[in-house]
Amino acid sequence: MTEKFLPVQDYLPDSGTYELLPFKFEPVGADEVILTNLTGEFLYLKREKLDSLVSHRLAPSDADYRALRARHFIRQPNDRATLDLLALKTRTRLSRLANFTNLHLFVVTLRCDHACHYCQVSRQSEDRQSFDMSEETADRALDLVFRSPNPAIKIEFQGGEPLLNFPLVRYVVEKAEQRNRVERRDLQFVVATTLSMVTDEILEFCRVHGIHISTSLDGPEDLHNRNRPRPGRDSHRKFTDGLKKARDVLGYDAVSAVMTTSPASLPRAREIVDEYIEHGFDSIFLRPLSPYGFAIKTKSYQAYDAGSWLEFYRAGMDYIIDLNKRGVRFVEHYSSVILKKMLTNDDPMFVDLMSPCGAGISAVVFNYDGDVYASDESRMLNEMGDATFKLGNVHSDSYRDIFASDALLSVLEDSFASSAPMCSDCAFEPWCGADPVFHHATQGDILGRKPESEFCKRMMGMIRYLLDVMRADPQAKSIFMTWVNS
Amino acid sequence: MMKKIKMIRLELDRSIYSDEAVQKAAYRFIDRFAAIVSRADNSIVVEITFGTESSNQREHVVADFKKELLDQNLRLRIKTETEAVRNLILAYAFSKSGLQE
Ligand code: SF4
Repeated sequence: MTEKFLPVQDYLPDSGTYELLPFKFEPVGADEVILTNLTGEFLYLKREKLDSLVSHRLAPSDADYRALRARHFIRQPNDRATLDLLALKTRTRLSRLANFTNLHLFVVTLRCDHACHYCQVSRQSEDRQSFDMSEETADRALDLVFRSPNPAIKIEFQGGEPLLNFPLVRYVVEKAEQRNRVERRDLQFVVATTLSMVTDEILEFCRVHGIHISTSLDGPEDLHNRNRPRPGRDSHRKFTDGLKKARDVLGYDAVSAVMTTSPASLPRAREIVDEYIEHGFDSIFLRPLSPYGFAIKTKSYQAYDAGSWLEFYRAGMDYIIDLNKRGVRFVEHYSSVILKKMLTNDDPMFVDLMSPCGAGISAVVFNYDGDVYASDESRMLNEMGDATFKLGNVHSDSYRDIFASDALLSVLEDSFASSAPMCSDCAFEPWCGADPVFHHATQGDILGRKPESEFCKRMMGMIRYLLDVMRADPQAKSIFMTWVNS
Repeated sequence: MMKKIKMIRLELDRSIYSDEAVQKAAYRFIDRFAAIVSRADNSIVVEITFGTESSNQREHVVADFKKELLDQNLRLRIKTETEAVRNLILAYAFSKSGLQE
Protein backbone atom coordinates (compact mmCIF):
# COMPACT_ATOMS: atom_id res chain seq x y z
CA MET A 1 0.00 0.00 0.00
CA THR A 2 1.35 3.43 -0.83
CA GLU A 3 1.61 5.78 2.08
CA LYS A 4 0.58 9.06 0.60
CA PHE A 5 1.64 11.29 3.45
CA LEU A 6 1.67 11.19 7.19
CA PRO A 7 -0.49 13.70 9.04
CA VAL A 8 1.26 16.31 11.20
CA GLN A 9 0.11 14.71 14.44
CA ASP A 10 2.03 11.62 13.47
CA TYR A 11 5.18 13.47 14.44
CA LEU A 12 3.85 14.70 17.76
CA PRO A 13 4.90 12.96 20.94
CA ASP A 14 2.70 9.99 21.70
CA SER A 15 0.69 9.92 24.88
CA GLY A 16 0.43 6.13 24.73
CA THR A 17 -3.35 6.18 24.87
CA TYR A 18 -5.31 5.73 21.69
CA GLU A 19 -8.83 5.44 20.35
CA LEU A 20 -9.91 2.89 17.80
CA LEU A 21 -11.10 4.22 14.45
CA PRO A 22 -13.74 2.22 12.55
CA PHE A 23 -12.24 -0.88 10.95
CA LYS A 24 -13.18 -4.42 9.98
CA PHE A 25 -11.14 -7.59 9.83
CA GLU A 26 -11.09 -11.02 8.20
CA PRO A 27 -8.90 -13.96 9.10
CA VAL A 28 -6.08 -14.82 6.71
CA GLY A 29 -4.42 -18.12 7.46
CA ALA A 30 -4.40 -19.58 10.93
CA ASP A 31 -2.91 -16.81 13.03
CA GLU A 32 -3.30 -13.59 11.11
CA VAL A 33 -6.00 -11.12 10.17
CA ILE A 34 -6.31 -8.39 7.59
CA LEU A 35 -7.74 -5.05 8.70
CA THR A 36 -9.47 -2.53 6.44
CA ASN A 37 -10.80 0.91 7.28
CA LEU A 38 -13.61 3.01 5.81
CA THR A 39 -11.49 4.20 2.93
CA GLY A 40 -10.05 0.83 1.93
CA GLU A 41 -6.59 1.17 3.51
CA PHE A 42 -5.37 -2.17 4.83
CA LEU A 43 -2.91 -3.84 7.12
CA TYR A 44 -2.00 -7.36 8.28
CA LEU A 45 -1.79 -8.17 11.98
CA LYS A 46 -1.04 -11.23 14.06
CA ARG A 47 -4.09 -12.47 15.96
CA GLU A 48 -2.61 -11.72 19.35
CA LYS A 49 -1.83 -8.16 18.24
CA LEU A 50 -5.46 -7.70 17.22
CA ASP A 51 -6.53 -8.68 20.73
CA SER A 52 -4.01 -6.27 22.28
CA LEU A 53 -5.14 -3.54 19.90
CA VAL A 54 -8.82 -3.89 20.75
CA SER A 55 -8.03 -4.15 24.47
CA HIS A 56 -5.96 -0.91 24.26
CA ARG A 57 -2.82 -2.71 25.31
CA LEU A 58 -0.69 -1.99 22.26
CA ALA A 59 2.40 0.02 23.17
CA PRO A 60 3.56 3.02 21.08
CA SER A 61 6.92 1.29 20.81
CA ASP A 62 5.30 -1.64 19.01
CA ALA A 63 6.22 -1.84 15.33
CA ASP A 64 2.56 -2.25 14.36
CA TYR A 65 1.46 0.73 16.39
CA ARG A 66 3.01 3.25 14.05
CA ALA A 67 1.56 1.56 10.97
CA LEU A 68 -1.88 1.44 12.55
CA ARG A 69 -1.68 5.13 13.28
CA ALA A 70 -0.31 6.09 9.88
CA ARG A 71 -3.05 4.17 8.10
CA HIS A 72 -5.84 5.52 10.26
CA PHE A 73 -6.83 2.54 12.35
CA ILE A 74 -6.16 4.36 15.63
CA ARG A 75 -5.87 7.98 16.65
CA GLN A 76 -4.74 10.02 19.61
CA PRO A 77 -7.65 11.26 21.71
CA ASN A 78 -8.99 14.55 20.36
CA ASP A 79 -7.01 14.31 17.17
CA ARG A 80 -9.54 15.94 14.88
CA ALA A 81 -7.30 16.12 11.80
CA THR A 82 -7.44 12.35 11.29
CA LEU A 83 -11.24 12.42 11.28
CA ASP A 84 -11.21 15.23 8.72
CA LEU A 85 -8.87 13.27 6.51
CA LEU A 86 -11.01 10.13 6.73
CA ALA A 87 -14.13 12.19 5.99
CA LEU A 88 -12.48 13.70 2.96
CA LYS A 89 -11.44 10.33 1.61
CA THR A 90 -14.87 8.86 2.30
CA ARG A 91 -16.44 11.76 0.51
CA THR A 92 -14.33 11.14 -2.55
CA ARG A 93 -15.57 7.55 -2.57
CA LEU A 94 -19.21 8.53 -2.18
CA SER A 95 -18.98 11.16 -4.85
CA ARG A 96 -19.10 8.54 -7.56
CA LEU A 97 -22.66 7.74 -6.50
CA ALA A 98 -23.63 11.40 -6.43
CA ASN A 99 -21.88 12.14 -9.67
CA PHE A 100 -24.30 10.52 -12.00
CA THR A 101 -23.00 8.09 -14.61
CA ASN A 102 -21.71 9.55 -17.85
CA LEU A 103 -22.31 6.38 -19.87
CA HIS A 104 -25.35 6.30 -22.14
CA LEU A 105 -26.05 3.12 -24.07
CA PHE A 106 -28.16 3.27 -27.22
CA VAL A 107 -29.51 -0.10 -28.29
CA VAL A 108 -29.99 0.84 -31.93
CA THR A 109 -31.23 -2.60 -32.99
CA LEU A 110 -31.78 -6.05 -31.58
CA ARG A 111 -31.03 -7.64 -34.94
CA CYS A 112 -27.78 -9.55 -35.25
CA ASP A 113 -25.95 -11.76 -37.74
CA HIS A 114 -24.61 -13.93 -34.92
CA ALA A 115 -26.52 -16.40 -32.77
CA CYS A 116 -24.34 -16.59 -29.67
CA HIS A 117 -25.66 -19.04 -27.08
CA TYR A 118 -25.14 -16.72 -24.17
CA CYS A 119 -26.47 -13.60 -25.82
CA GLN A 120 -29.46 -12.28 -24.00
CA VAL A 121 -31.15 -10.11 -26.53
CA SER A 122 -30.30 -10.61 -30.18
CA ARG A 123 -32.86 -11.49 -32.85
CA GLN A 124 -32.25 -13.22 -36.16
CA SER A 125 -34.90 -11.26 -37.94
CA GLU A 126 -35.22 -9.10 -41.01
CA ASP A 127 -38.00 -7.16 -39.38
CA ARG A 128 -36.55 -3.65 -39.15
CA GLN A 129 -39.79 -2.10 -37.97
CA SER A 130 -40.03 -4.18 -34.83
CA PHE A 131 -36.44 -4.29 -33.61
CA ASP A 132 -34.72 -1.07 -34.76
CA MET A 133 -34.64 2.21 -32.86
CA SER A 134 -36.40 5.01 -34.70
CA GLU A 135 -35.13 8.58 -35.18
CA GLU A 136 -37.95 9.83 -33.02
CA THR A 137 -36.94 7.57 -30.14
CA ALA A 138 -33.28 8.59 -30.59
CA ASP A 139 -34.24 12.29 -30.42
CA ARG A 140 -36.10 11.79 -27.16
CA ALA A 141 -33.21 9.79 -25.74
CA LEU A 142 -30.75 12.54 -26.71
CA ASP A 143 -32.93 15.08 -24.89
CA LEU A 144 -32.40 13.03 -21.74
CA VAL A 145 -28.69 12.51 -22.37
CA PHE A 146 -28.08 16.25 -22.41
CA ARG A 147 -30.08 16.71 -19.22
CA SER A 148 -27.35 14.75 -17.41
CA PRO A 149 -25.35 17.05 -15.12
CA ASN A 150 -22.11 15.27 -15.95
CA PRO A 151 -19.63 17.37 -17.95
CA ALA A 152 -18.51 14.21 -19.77
CA ILE A 153 -20.89 12.27 -21.97
CA LYS A 154 -20.08 8.93 -23.49
CA ILE A 155 -22.57 7.44 -25.94
CA GLU A 156 -22.11 3.76 -26.69
CA PHE A 157 -24.01 2.08 -29.52
CA GLN A 158 -25.03 -1.48 -28.82
CA GLY A 159 -27.19 -4.19 -30.27
CA GLY A 160 -27.79 -6.78 -31.51
CA GLU A 161 -25.28 -5.70 -34.09
CA PRO A 162 -25.40 -1.90 -34.26
CA LEU A 163 -23.86 -1.88 -37.73
CA LEU A 164 -27.17 -3.34 -38.99
CA ASN A 165 -28.77 0.00 -38.17
CA PHE A 166 -25.80 2.24 -38.96
CA PRO A 167 -27.98 5.01 -40.47
CA LEU A 168 -29.32 5.60 -36.97
CA VAL A 169 -25.80 5.61 -35.50
CA ARG A 170 -24.92 8.34 -38.01
CA TYR A 171 -28.06 10.21 -37.13
CA VAL A 172 -27.38 10.16 -33.37
CA VAL A 173 -23.71 11.12 -33.78
CA GLU A 174 -24.52 14.08 -36.02
CA LYS A 175 -27.39 15.27 -33.82
CA ALA A 176 -25.34 14.94 -30.64
CA GLU A 177 -22.46 16.87 -32.19
CA GLN A 178 -24.84 19.56 -33.34
CA ARG A 179 -26.20 20.01 -29.82
CA ASN A 180 -22.76 19.89 -28.36
CA ARG A 181 -21.74 23.02 -30.21
CA VAL A 182 -23.81 24.82 -27.60
CA GLU A 183 -23.46 22.36 -24.70
CA ARG A 184 -19.69 21.97 -24.98
CA ARG A 185 -19.46 18.69 -23.07
CA ASP A 186 -16.62 16.24 -23.35
CA LEU A 187 -18.45 14.05 -25.88
CA GLN A 188 -17.26 10.55 -26.84
CA PHE A 189 -18.71 7.79 -28.99
CA VAL A 190 -18.15 4.03 -28.96
CA VAL A 191 -19.61 1.37 -31.23
CA ALA A 192 -19.76 -2.16 -29.76
CA THR A 193 -19.53 -4.45 -32.76
CA THR A 194 -18.24 -7.88 -33.79
CA LEU A 195 -16.78 -6.11 -36.88
CA SER A 196 -18.23 -8.83 -39.12
CA MET A 197 -20.13 -6.29 -41.20
CA VAL A 198 -17.76 -3.37 -41.08
CA THR A 199 -17.24 -1.47 -44.36
CA ASP A 200 -14.81 1.22 -45.51
CA GLU A 201 -17.62 3.71 -45.51
CA ILE A 202 -18.55 2.97 -41.88
CA LEU A 203 -14.91 3.21 -40.81
CA GLU A 204 -14.47 6.49 -42.62
CA PHE A 205 -17.44 7.91 -40.74
CA CYS A 206 -15.93 6.64 -37.45
CA ARG A 207 -12.60 8.28 -38.30
CA VAL A 208 -14.12 11.65 -39.13
CA HIS A 209 -16.14 11.66 -35.91
CA GLY A 210 -13.53 10.15 -33.59
CA ILE A 211 -15.66 7.10 -32.81
CA HIS A 212 -14.00 4.26 -30.92
CA ILE A 213 -14.70 0.59 -31.58
CA SER A 214 -15.24 -1.97 -28.86
CA THR A 215 -15.17 -5.41 -30.39
CA SER A 216 -15.38 -9.02 -29.17
CA LEU A 217 -12.66 -11.64 -29.10
CA ASP A 218 -13.28 -14.82 -27.13
CA GLY A 219 -10.05 -16.67 -27.79
CA PRO A 220 -8.41 -18.91 -30.40
CA GLU A 221 -10.31 -19.48 -33.64
CA ASP A 222 -12.09 -22.72 -32.69
CA LEU A 223 -13.24 -21.34 -29.35
CA HIS A 224 -14.31 -17.99 -30.77
CA ASN A 225 -16.31 -19.64 -33.56
CA ARG A 226 -17.88 -22.07 -31.15
CA ASN A 227 -18.98 -19.23 -28.86
CA ARG A 228 -20.13 -17.05 -31.73
CA PRO A 229 -21.95 -19.09 -34.36
CA ARG A 230 -22.93 -17.31 -37.54
CA PRO A 231 -23.72 -18.50 -41.05
CA GLY A 232 -20.43 -19.66 -42.60
CA ARG A 233 -18.84 -20.35 -39.16
CA ASP A 234 -16.34 -17.61 -39.92
CA SER A 235 -16.76 -15.22 -37.02
CA HIS A 236 -13.06 -15.29 -36.10
CA ARG A 237 -11.87 -14.67 -39.65
CA LYS A 238 -14.31 -11.80 -40.04
CA PHE A 239 -13.06 -10.40 -36.75
CA THR A 240 -9.42 -10.62 -37.86
CA ASP A 241 -10.13 -8.92 -41.18
CA GLY A 242 -12.33 -6.27 -39.55
CA LEU A 243 -9.74 -5.57 -36.86
CA LYS A 244 -7.00 -4.94 -39.39
CA LYS A 245 -9.19 -2.66 -41.45
CA ALA A 246 -10.40 -0.76 -38.39
CA ARG A 247 -6.87 -0.24 -37.09
CA ASP A 248 -5.64 0.87 -40.49
CA VAL A 249 -8.29 3.58 -40.65
CA LEU A 250 -8.81 4.56 -37.00
CA GLY A 251 -5.41 3.89 -35.49
CA TYR A 252 -4.31 1.18 -33.11
CA ASP A 253 -5.66 2.63 -29.88
CA ALA A 254 -9.16 3.31 -31.16
CA VAL A 255 -10.06 -0.39 -31.09
CA SER A 256 -10.46 -2.43 -27.91
CA ALA A 257 -11.87 -5.90 -27.29
CA VAL A 258 -13.96 -7.68 -24.65
CA MET A 259 -14.27 -11.41 -24.09
CA THR A 260 -16.99 -13.64 -22.74
CA THR A 261 -16.09 -16.69 -20.70
CA SER A 262 -18.16 -19.62 -21.90
CA PRO A 263 -17.91 -23.04 -20.25
CA ALA A 264 -15.62 -24.04 -23.13
CA SER A 265 -13.25 -21.16 -22.26
CA LEU A 266 -12.57 -22.34 -18.73
CA PRO A 267 -9.58 -24.64 -19.31
CA ARG A 268 -8.03 -22.26 -21.86
CA ALA A 269 -7.07 -19.09 -19.99
CA ARG A 270 -3.48 -18.99 -21.28
CA GLU A 271 -4.47 -19.56 -24.89
CA ILE A 272 -7.04 -16.79 -24.64
CA VAL A 273 -4.43 -14.36 -23.30
CA ASP A 274 -2.01 -15.45 -26.03
CA GLU A 275 -4.68 -14.77 -28.64
CA TYR A 276 -5.09 -11.23 -27.33
CA ILE A 277 -1.37 -10.66 -27.45
CA GLU A 278 -1.12 -12.09 -30.94
CA HIS A 279 -3.68 -9.56 -32.08
CA GLY A 280 -1.73 -6.73 -30.49
CA PHE A 281 -3.98 -5.99 -27.51
CA ASP A 282 -2.32 -4.91 -24.28
CA SER A 283 -5.18 -5.77 -21.94
CA ILE A 284 -8.03 -8.19 -21.34
CA PHE A 285 -11.15 -8.28 -19.19
CA LEU A 286 -11.63 -11.80 -17.82
CA ARG A 287 -15.37 -11.38 -17.68
CA PRO A 288 -17.66 -14.04 -16.18
CA LEU A 289 -20.96 -14.83 -17.90
CA SER A 290 -23.83 -12.77 -16.63
CA PRO A 291 -26.77 -14.68 -15.22
CA TYR A 292 -29.35 -12.99 -17.37
CA GLY A 293 -31.50 -13.75 -20.32
CA PHE A 294 -30.43 -16.60 -22.51
CA ALA A 295 -27.50 -17.29 -20.26
CA ILE A 296 -30.05 -18.53 -17.73
CA LYS A 297 -32.45 -19.94 -20.29
CA THR A 298 -29.82 -22.09 -21.95
CA LYS A 299 -28.32 -23.09 -18.61
CA SER A 300 -24.93 -21.87 -19.76
CA TYR A 301 -24.65 -19.80 -16.60
CA GLN A 302 -25.19 -22.80 -14.37
CA ALA A 303 -22.64 -24.59 -16.49
CA TYR A 304 -19.98 -23.15 -14.23
CA ASP A 305 -19.96 -21.80 -10.71
CA ALA A 306 -17.81 -19.14 -9.05
CA GLY A 307 -15.25 -21.80 -8.11
CA SER A 308 -14.61 -22.89 -11.70
CA TRP A 309 -14.51 -19.29 -12.90
CA LEU A 310 -11.99 -18.45 -10.15
CA GLU A 311 -9.74 -21.27 -11.30
CA PHE A 312 -9.86 -19.80 -14.78
CA TYR A 313 -9.21 -16.30 -13.43
CA ARG A 314 -6.23 -17.41 -11.34
CA ALA A 315 -4.70 -19.36 -14.21
CA GLY A 316 -5.11 -16.31 -16.46
CA MET A 317 -3.68 -13.94 -13.85
CA ASP A 318 -0.69 -16.14 -13.02
CA TYR A 319 0.14 -16.16 -16.70
CA ILE A 320 -0.43 -12.41 -17.14
CA ILE A 321 1.83 -11.62 -14.18
CA ASP A 322 4.47 -13.89 -15.64
CA LEU A 323 4.23 -12.13 -19.00
CA ASN A 324 4.62 -8.73 -17.34
CA LYS A 325 7.71 -9.99 -15.54
CA ARG A 326 9.13 -10.97 -18.89
CA GLY A 327 8.62 -7.43 -20.13
CA VAL A 328 5.26 -7.76 -21.92
CA ARG A 329 3.02 -5.06 -20.50
CA PHE A 330 -0.46 -6.57 -20.32
CA VAL A 331 -3.30 -5.53 -17.98
CA GLU A 332 -6.30 -7.45 -16.62
CA HIS A 333 -9.14 -4.97 -16.15
CA TYR A 334 -11.32 -6.74 -13.58
CA SER A 335 -8.37 -6.96 -11.19
CA SER A 336 -7.42 -3.38 -11.98
CA VAL A 337 -10.75 -2.07 -10.76
CA ILE A 338 -10.33 -3.82 -7.41
CA LEU A 339 -6.64 -2.95 -7.14
CA LYS A 340 -7.44 0.71 -7.72
CA LYS A 341 -9.66 0.65 -4.67
CA MET A 342 -6.98 -1.19 -2.67
CA LEU A 343 -3.94 0.77 -3.68
CA THR A 344 -5.07 4.31 -4.42
CA ASN A 345 -7.32 6.91 -2.88
CA ASP A 346 -9.40 7.42 -5.93
CA ASP A 347 -12.10 5.02 -6.84
CA PRO A 348 -12.68 4.84 -10.57
CA MET A 349 -14.71 8.05 -10.84
CA PHE A 350 -17.53 6.57 -12.82
CA VAL A 351 -18.70 3.02 -12.66
CA ASP A 352 -18.88 1.89 -16.23
CA LEU A 353 -19.45 -1.55 -17.65
CA MET A 354 -15.83 -2.41 -17.13
CA SER A 355 -16.62 -2.42 -13.45
CA PRO A 356 -18.84 -5.36 -12.69
CA CYS A 357 -18.39 -4.89 -8.99
CA GLY A 358 -20.06 -1.50 -9.35
CA ALA A 359 -23.37 -0.66 -7.88
CA GLY A 360 -25.48 -1.84 -10.80
CA ILE A 361 -26.18 1.77 -11.67
CA SER A 362 -23.55 1.49 -14.27
CA ALA A 363 -25.18 3.21 -17.20
CA VAL A 364 -28.35 4.67 -18.58
CA VAL A 365 -29.64 2.32 -21.26
CA PHE A 366 -32.02 3.44 -24.00
CA ASN A 367 -33.56 0.36 -25.53
CA TYR A 368 -34.60 0.25 -29.21
CA ASP A 369 -38.23 0.76 -28.19
CA GLY A 370 -37.55 3.75 -25.93
CA ASP A 371 -37.54 1.88 -22.62
CA VAL A 372 -34.95 3.22 -20.16
CA TYR A 373 -32.93 1.04 -17.77
CA ALA A 374 -30.33 1.69 -15.08
CA SER A 375 -27.89 -0.83 -16.50
CA ASP A 376 -27.47 -3.23 -19.36
CA GLU A 377 -28.19 -6.13 -17.00
CA SER A 378 -31.55 -4.55 -16.12
CA ARG A 379 -32.45 -4.47 -19.79
CA MET A 380 -31.58 -8.16 -20.13
CA LEU A 381 -33.67 -8.99 -17.11
CA ASN A 382 -36.58 -7.18 -18.71
CA GLU A 383 -36.15 -9.37 -21.79
CA MET A 384 -36.91 -12.30 -19.51
CA GLY A 385 -40.13 -10.65 -18.43
CA ASP A 386 -38.88 -9.02 -15.23
CA ALA A 387 -39.39 -5.25 -15.35
CA THR A 388 -38.16 -4.49 -11.82
CA PHE A 389 -35.34 -2.26 -13.00
CA LYS A 390 -37.11 -0.52 -15.85
CA LEU A 391 -37.09 3.21 -15.18
CA GLY A 392 -39.59 4.36 -17.77
CA ASN A 393 -39.94 5.12 -21.47
CA VAL A 394 -38.66 8.15 -23.40
CA HIS A 395 -42.04 8.62 -25.08
CA SER A 396 -44.23 8.65 -22.04
CA ASP A 397 -42.06 9.75 -19.10
CA SER A 398 -40.26 12.97 -18.22
CA TYR A 399 -36.65 13.31 -17.04
CA ARG A 400 -37.92 13.58 -13.47
CA ASP A 401 -40.20 10.55 -13.82
CA ILE A 402 -37.27 8.49 -15.02
CA PHE A 403 -34.39 9.61 -12.84
CA ALA A 404 -36.37 10.10 -9.65
CA SER A 405 -38.31 6.88 -10.17
CA ASP A 406 -38.73 4.40 -7.34
CA ALA A 407 -36.98 1.76 -9.41
CA LEU A 408 -33.81 3.86 -9.51
CA LEU A 409 -33.92 5.34 -6.03
CA SER A 410 -34.58 2.08 -4.25
CA VAL A 411 -31.76 0.38 -6.12
CA LEU A 412 -29.42 3.25 -5.28
CA GLU A 413 -30.35 3.03 -1.64
CA ASP A 414 -30.02 -0.74 -1.53
CA SER A 415 -26.73 -0.66 -3.32
CA PHE A 416 -24.94 0.61 -0.24
CA ALA A 417 -23.28 -2.71 0.40
CA SER A 418 -22.10 -1.41 3.73
CA SER A 419 -25.59 -1.96 5.12
CA ALA A 420 -26.19 -5.44 3.68
CA PRO A 421 -26.05 -8.44 6.04
CA MET A 422 -22.57 -9.98 6.05
CA CYS A 423 -21.17 -7.16 3.89
CA SER A 424 -21.67 -4.80 6.83
CA ASP A 425 -18.96 -6.62 8.77
CA CYS A 426 -16.89 -7.91 5.86
CA ALA A 427 -13.39 -6.45 5.67
CA PHE A 428 -13.47 -6.66 1.87
CA GLU A 429 -16.50 -4.41 1.58
CA PRO A 430 -14.56 -1.19 0.81
CA TRP A 431 -13.19 -2.95 -2.29
CA CYS A 432 -16.32 -4.78 -3.23
CA GLY A 433 -19.70 -3.72 -4.63
CA ALA A 434 -23.34 -4.54 -4.44
CA ASP A 435 -24.72 -5.66 -7.79
CA PRO A 436 -28.41 -5.53 -6.83
CA VAL A 437 -29.52 -6.63 -10.30
CA PHE A 438 -27.43 -9.80 -10.04
CA HIS A 439 -28.86 -10.69 -6.65
CA HIS A 440 -32.37 -9.92 -7.72
CA ALA A 441 -31.91 -12.14 -10.78
CA THR A 442 -30.32 -15.06 -8.97
CA GLN A 443 -31.89 -14.89 -5.51
CA GLY A 444 -34.99 -12.74 -5.92
CA ASP A 445 -33.61 -10.30 -3.38
CA ILE A 446 -31.80 -7.03 -4.10
CA LEU A 447 -29.43 -7.24 -1.15
CA GLY A 448 -28.74 -10.92 -1.69
CA ARG A 449 -27.87 -13.65 0.78
CA LYS A 450 -24.12 -13.22 0.52
CA PRO A 451 -22.94 -16.52 2.01
CA GLU A 452 -24.80 -18.27 -0.82
CA SER A 453 -24.07 -15.70 -3.49
CA GLU A 454 -21.87 -16.52 -6.46
CA PHE A 455 -21.04 -12.84 -6.73
CA CYS A 456 -19.73 -12.81 -3.16
CA LYS A 457 -17.72 -16.00 -3.70
CA ARG A 458 -16.19 -14.51 -6.82
CA MET A 459 -15.29 -11.24 -5.11
CA MET A 460 -13.82 -12.97 -2.07
CA GLY A 461 -11.82 -15.30 -4.29
CA MET A 462 -10.43 -12.47 -6.39
CA ILE A 463 -9.62 -10.26 -3.43
CA ARG A 464 -7.85 -13.06 -1.55
CA TYR A 465 -5.91 -13.97 -4.66
CA LEU A 466 -4.76 -10.38 -5.22
CA LEU A 467 -3.81 -9.94 -1.56
CA ASP A 468 -1.83 -13.20 -1.53
CA VAL A 469 0.02 -12.33 -4.70
CA MET A 470 0.97 -8.86 -3.47
CA ARG A 471 2.21 -10.26 -0.21
CA ALA A 472 4.23 -13.11 -1.61
CA ASP A 473 5.61 -11.39 -4.67
CA PRO A 474 6.88 -7.80 -4.44
CA GLN A 475 7.59 -7.76 -8.16
CA ALA A 476 3.96 -8.60 -8.92
CA LYS A 477 2.91 -5.83 -6.55
CA SER A 478 5.04 -3.31 -8.44
CA ILE A 479 3.40 -4.49 -11.65
CA PHE A 480 -0.04 -3.92 -10.11
CA MET A 481 1.08 -0.43 -9.06
CA THR A 482 1.81 0.41 -12.68
CA TRP A 483 -1.66 -0.85 -13.66
CA VAL A 484 -3.49 1.36 -11.20
CA ASN A 485 -1.41 4.44 -11.79
CA SER A 486 -1.72 4.48 -15.55
CA MET B 1 -27.37 -45.26 0.91
CA MET B 2 -28.83 -42.10 2.45
CA LYS B 3 -26.59 -40.48 5.05
CA LYS B 4 -28.27 -39.62 8.35
CA ILE B 5 -29.10 -35.99 9.03
CA LYS B 6 -26.86 -34.87 11.84
CA MET B 7 -27.63 -32.34 14.58
CA ILE B 8 -25.16 -30.57 16.82
CA ARG B 9 -26.09 -28.45 19.80
CA LEU B 10 -23.89 -25.65 21.14
CA GLU B 11 -24.54 -23.89 24.42
CA LEU B 12 -22.86 -20.51 24.67
CA ASP B 13 -22.38 -18.46 27.82
CA ARG B 14 -24.36 -15.23 27.53
CA SER B 15 -21.91 -13.34 29.67
CA ILE B 16 -19.37 -13.89 26.88
CA TYR B 17 -21.38 -14.08 23.64
CA SER B 18 -23.98 -11.53 22.62
CA ASP B 19 -27.13 -12.44 20.69
CA GLU B 20 -26.02 -10.25 17.81
CA ALA B 21 -22.62 -11.90 17.51
CA VAL B 22 -24.15 -15.38 17.51
CA GLN B 23 -26.73 -14.43 14.91
CA LYS B 24 -24.17 -12.82 12.65
CA ALA B 25 -21.90 -15.83 12.88
CA ALA B 26 -24.81 -18.18 12.07
CA TYR B 27 -25.74 -16.01 9.08
CA ARG B 28 -22.25 -16.31 7.65
CA PHE B 29 -22.68 -20.09 7.72
CA ILE B 30 -26.08 -20.40 6.04
CA ASP B 31 -24.42 -21.97 3.03
CA ARG B 32 -22.95 -24.71 5.21
CA PHE B 33 -25.67 -25.62 7.73
CA ALA B 34 -29.11 -24.69 9.03
CA ALA B 35 -29.09 -23.18 12.51
CA ILE B 36 -31.74 -22.32 15.04
CA VAL B 37 -30.70 -19.86 17.72
CA SER B 38 -32.63 -19.68 21.00
CA ARG B 39 -32.13 -18.61 24.60
CA ALA B 40 -32.08 -20.74 27.72
CA ASP B 41 -31.38 -19.12 31.10
CA ASN B 42 -27.82 -17.89 30.95
CA SER B 43 -26.95 -19.34 27.61
CA ILE B 44 -27.59 -18.97 23.93
CA VAL B 45 -28.35 -22.28 22.27
CA VAL B 46 -27.40 -22.96 18.66
CA GLU B 47 -28.90 -26.06 17.09
CA ILE B 48 -27.05 -26.95 13.94
CA THR B 49 -28.44 -29.29 11.30
CA PHE B 50 -26.14 -30.64 8.61
CA GLY B 51 -27.02 -32.16 5.28
CA THR B 52 -24.98 -34.96 3.80
CA GLU B 53 -21.50 -33.94 4.97
CA SER B 54 -19.12 -36.54 6.38
CA SER B 55 -18.34 -36.40 10.09
CA ASN B 56 -14.89 -35.08 9.24
CA GLN B 57 -16.35 -32.20 7.25
CA ARG B 58 -18.85 -31.50 10.02
CA GLU B 59 -16.07 -31.24 12.58
CA HIS B 60 -14.19 -28.80 10.41
CA VAL B 61 -17.22 -26.62 9.86
CA VAL B 62 -18.07 -26.56 13.57
CA ALA B 63 -14.47 -25.67 14.43
CA ASP B 64 -14.63 -22.80 11.91
CA PHE B 65 -17.96 -21.72 13.30
CA LYS B 66 -16.52 -21.50 16.82
CA LYS B 67 -13.72 -19.27 15.53
CA GLU B 68 -16.29 -17.16 13.75
CA LEU B 69 -18.23 -16.75 17.01
CA LEU B 70 -15.15 -15.31 18.69
CA ASP B 71 -14.47 -13.06 15.69
CA GLN B 72 -18.01 -11.74 15.73
CA ASN B 73 -17.67 -10.96 19.41
CA LEU B 74 -14.53 -9.00 18.66
CA ARG B 75 -16.16 -7.25 15.69
CA LEU B 76 -18.95 -6.14 17.95
CA ARG B 77 -16.51 -4.70 20.48
CA ILE B 78 -14.82 -2.73 17.72
CA LYS B 79 -18.15 -1.57 16.34
CA THR B 80 -19.41 -0.44 19.74
CA GLU B 81 -16.25 1.51 20.45
CA THR B 82 -16.06 3.14 17.03
CA GLU B 83 -19.72 3.71 16.18
CA ALA B 84 -19.84 7.33 17.33
CA VAL B 85 -16.69 8.28 15.46
CA ARG B 86 -17.90 6.42 12.36
CA ASN B 87 -21.10 8.44 12.36
CA LEU B 88 -19.10 11.62 12.81
CA ILE B 89 -16.88 10.80 9.82
CA LEU B 90 -19.89 9.97 7.65
CA ALA B 91 -21.66 13.14 8.76
CA TYR B 92 -18.61 15.24 7.75
CA ALA B 93 -18.33 13.37 4.47
CA PHE B 94 -21.99 13.86 3.57
CA SER B 95 -22.21 17.46 4.71
CA LYS B 96 -19.26 18.46 2.56
CA SER B 97 -20.80 16.87 -0.51
CA GLY B 98 -24.16 18.47 0.12
CA LEU B 99 -25.78 15.05 0.13
CA GLN B 100 -27.27 15.50 3.57
CA GLU B 101 -29.77 18.21 2.63
S1 SF4 C 1 -20.36 -9.33 -1.35
FE1 SF4 C 1 -19.15 -10.74 -0.10
S2 SF4 C 1 -17.02 -10.05 -0.40
FE2 SF4 C 1 -18.36 -8.40 -1.07
S3 SF4 C 1 -18.59 -7.11 0.78
FE3 SF4 C 1 -20.33 -8.52 0.74
S4 SF4 C 1 -19.64 -10.19 2.05
FE4 SF4 C 1 -17.79 -9.07 1.45
